[in-house]
Amino acid sequence: MANNRILDMNGIGKAFGGVPVLADVHFHLDAGEVVALLGANGAGKSTLMKILSGNYSRDAGTIAVNGRDHDLKSPADALALGIRMLPQELSVFPDLTVAENIMIGALPKNGMHVDRRAMEVRATALLERMGLDGLSPRTRMGALSHHVQRIVEIARAMNGEARVLIMDEPTASLAADEVQMLFGIIRRLRADGISIIYISHYLKEVFAVSGRIAVLRDGRNAGDFTTANTNVDEVLHAIIGNRVGDLYPAFSANAASAADVVRVEGLSVEGWLRGVDFTVRGGSITGVHGLIGSGVEMIGRALFGAAPRTRVRRVEIDGKPYQVSTPGKAVEAGLGLVAAERKREGIVAMLSLRENMSLANMPLFTKGVSVDRKKEATTTAEWIRRLSIRARNAEQPIGTLSGGNQQKVCLARWLLGDLKVLILEEPTRGVDVGARQEIYRQIRQLADGGLGILLISSDAEEVAGLADRSIALASGRVTEVFEQPTEASALMSAASKSAAAA
Amino acid sequence: MSQTTVSTAPTPAVRNRPKNLLGHAWAGVAMLLAFYLILVAIFTVLSPFFLTVKNLLSIGSNMAFIGLMAAAGTPLIIAGGLDLSVAAVAGISGVIVAMCYAAGIDIWIACLVAILAGGLIGAGNGALTNGLKLNPFIVTLGTMSIITGASLVLTGGLTQPLMIPGFNWIGSGKIGGSGGIPVPLIIMLVVYFLAWWAMAFTPFGRYIYASGGNPEASRMLGIPVDRTQILLYVASGLAGALAGVIVAAMLGAAAPDSVGKHLLTVIAAIILGGTSLFGGRGSVWGTLLAVLILGTLNNGLTLLNVSSFWQDVTKGAVLLLAVGLDQLRVRSQA
Repeated sequence: MANNRILDMNGIGKAFGGVPVLADVHFHLDAGEVVALLGANGAGKSTLMKILSGNYSRDAGTIAVNGRDHDLKSPADALALGIRMLPQELSVFPDLTVAENIMIGALPKNGMHVDRRAMEVRATALLERMGLDGLSPRTRMGALSHHVQRIVEIARAMNGEARVLIMDEPTASLAADEVQMLFGIIRRLRADGISIIYISHYLKEVFAVSGRIAVLRDGRNAGDFTTANTNVDEVLHAIIGNRVGDLYPAFSANAASAADVVRVEGLSVEGWLRGVDFTVRGGSITGVHGLIGSGVEMIGRALFGAAPRTRVRRVEIDGKPYQVSTPGKAVEAGLGLVAAERKREGIVAMLSLRENMSLANMPLFTKGVSVDRKKEATTTAEWIRRLSIRARNAEQPIGTLSGGNQQKVCLARWLLGDLKVLILEEPTRGVDVGARQEIYRQIRQLADGGLGILLISSDAEEVAGLADRSIALASGRVTEVFEQPTEASALMSAASKSAAAA
Repeated sequence: MSQTTVSTAPTPAVRNRPKNLLGHAWAGVAMLLAFYLILVAIFTVLSPFFLTVKNLLSIGSNMAFIGLMAAAGTPLIIAGGLDLSVAAVAGISGVIVAMCYAAGIDIWIACLVAILAGGLIGAGNGALTNGLKLNPFIVTLGTMSIITGASLVLTGGLTQPLMIPGFNWIGSGKIGGSGGIPVPLIIMLVVYFLAWWAMAFTPFGRYIYASGGNPEASRMLGIPVDRTQILLYVASGLAGALAGVIVAAMLGAAAPDSVGKHLLTVIAAIILGGTSLFGGRGSVWGTLLAVLILGTLNNGLTLLNVSSFWQDVTKGAVLLLAVGLDQLRVRSQA
């Protein structure tokens, strides 16, 4: 047993800015083993894997590879030890050949020139190992379909003395038969003695491909199961745990009787959503949960007019037909959207808090032809107080605030105008727990004040804790509708119906 | 000057800002002002002819057309656009005035036609960059080449005389007698005040900074990013044409190739003035100071009999030095 242990991570600890994200974590791997690493968003999976791949340094603990302790100071150290990581997003060079893509990190040389023959011979051998016998190494990478590029990427990771392969959500953009093809490759690699760490939210896939399941929760070990001896419920329970309920405010008493403010039929976004129906009710929170890639990313912005190639059969706002067009029109119709990618789509970092606050509602802050700065300043000061935003004052550039405080501004700016529905995309992504509670409380207060809220989140717990009613998405379709507050595990199993099942 | 500069930050002040923020908004412009004063001091010591009212006013008058183009270019670059065709527009604008006048049209109507044509070219630039989503560098490089070529085609490359006393007054007239303030300088300052006012005090100004600072976030907030940029291309075209009219009035002739060579000075002034080429940051007062610095450098070196070849070298070195220092300042704040 011990002599085929390839990796042993012990007592791993890591903190960012004083906030612990990993505490005393253990993780081990035997040769030829496929271990699924599971956990909710923010559980510490990525941090642990970034430590293993040499991208982060650890604060505590030891890492032994093949029985010997190693320091892993840089990605180069990890590569030299045979630890390879397959990135979540495809990272290839579309205009280079397949052989060049595979060998790019270690091009064989003949004097000063690239030894094309040696390169192609070695690339061909690696392709054969992946079962891609017929593929010419001279094919241009960009000419291949997405999943074949993915496999070539795996071949690249196998170049040299590979021992451990980390796969982070490898099936996120693959179709059902392509997933089967990937599983075939995983079995081949396992037979070759390669160990695989498989990170995924799709429990069906995890049960199909892994031999063991390791669970992290809040930066600690929360379970280690032999796949054959466990079941979905047990694993889900380990992922979610018994969370304290006071992070979330109470649900609305009259959500069921409230009227629809927005009614959407047949919302489609090419490549993302396939005919989704939903409604948002006044005075309550409607949750949408789905995994990354399920279309959960697009549903809010499609309604807001900010997603390309959107089609919709019918939208009504307050019973009147509404034509989805641009964000500007959506704002006029009383919709507001707090975007998931705050830095990219939410704030103008170099402008002040005050200027960011008024941006979406300039007409409210215009006197004659010029901006009413006094009103801006008093309004901003008021919201800084009401949301306890930690800032020196209203003139501070918003980019210098913490994520949670930026998010409070992004929330507050919509409350100035005549808003009917507020769309929240991943409202607490990158937000610490203290600010989270404050944000949840505010969201509930807004709903109690009569606003319709569409809460979109890939965090099932968040939807379960906050939404009065919710829908689950998988592969661009609604898989289940919950008219009452529901459990995170119910949302997760509705959302983890993999591409194969949907 | 220093008085006006104090009220003109890109993010205008609410009173009692803490000191470090005051530094943030002002450090760039203050640095330029210091640089300008040092330059003035050096040339005053080296040349007895430099520090005279007449000489200083002539610097302003000679730089006015460049200042005009830079005044419109600044908000455009802040908003995330770029207009390389502005100097070519100035060139063809003089040609249009001359051709209209030669065709018997009243000189003032001819000026109006030229300025409207400039606005139209700007609208074309805006339509290509924002309507068709083409890169502004390439679009305006293309229109620059087309317009420059068209000016030469229309005139056969020949200078067209425009000696009309009333018209020439725009370029070389002075208000307040022969030692008074040059008309081009006044026109330029009026344009700077307008630009400052629009950028600092109107919702449109806020949209300029937001569009360039983060176009995606701006779109998500319903801000008309494309309309803002298109309007600024039009403004750039109008300013270019006005600059062309002033140059033609000053020279008493429309020379098709008289302004195009100054494009780099216009862009250099905007960048030297602290405007970020990536958008979102900058002010017209920074640009104005930069125009003054470049004009003073030119004037002072000429008074010292330095060859114009060396002047280009100096200009480039100053630009690199100033932009380098500004980057250090911005990074130290981040």
